[in-house]
Amino acid sequence: MPQYLVAGYLPDDFDPSQVDEATGRAIHGLNKEMIAAGVRKFAGGLGAAKSLRAQTDGEVLITDGPYLETKEHIGGFWILECADMDEAMAWARKGVAATRGQVEVREIFFVPAPD
Amino acid sequence: MPQYLVAIQHPENYDPSLEGEAMIRDIGALNEEMNAAGARFFAGGLESASHAKSLRKQPDGHVSITDGPYLEAKEHIGGFWILECADMDEALAWGRKAVVACRVPVEVRAFLENPAEQKIT
Repeated sequence: MPQYLVAGYLPDDFDPSQVDEATGRAIHGLNKEMIAAGVRKFAGGLGAAKSLRAQTDGEVLITDGPYLETKEHIGGFWILECADMDEAMAWARKGVAATRGQVEVREIFFVPAPD
Repeated sequence: MPQYLVAIQHPENYDPSLEGEAMIRDIGALNEEMNAAGARFFAGGLESASHAKSLRKQPDGHVSITDGPYLEAKEHIGGFWILECADMDEALAWGRKAVVACRVPVEVRAFLENPAEQKIT
């Protein structure tokens, strides 16, 4: 069964404490629906980022903050097992509605052995 | 055990077919090492960002779907591991190895604990 990353994007200054109860209930309800349908392999919300870059001397430099200098970042995601992209997109639509946010869908095209 | 996302960053025009044998061997060895350490929960390589679909909610409530990645950036996540580690230091140690094996920059982020979520999994 193909796997899909359904990632939700949040602005940099997003404050989780401002999420209202209805949104929390909607996200919780969507997770329950995904589990009942047997499609949800993993789901998680993400915390602050650290970035690791190789230096020319071979050392790895670690800095606080996300790697990409953009105004939005992935706030959390689902890994779903779906029959095809259309099914993944149907869940992503529900993700937009539940999170009141923006969502990106990408196929996970290989899972490296050993699984 | 806390979970961490270790995400590798690829340039827009990244061509996986140009990955050399040594690099493929290094990544395979790192996956085996993570498994042997019991740290690896999930790993996956993503189809290139140009094949992503983005869903945006419109002011009228409709959802518009466009081809391509959501962020207009020159780099995108090319693949990732979800690791179970004792703490951020352990996750960063794996991240260092990922930088070396994959020859690309890496981002490490902890997953937030969500008590409500635990109940339904």
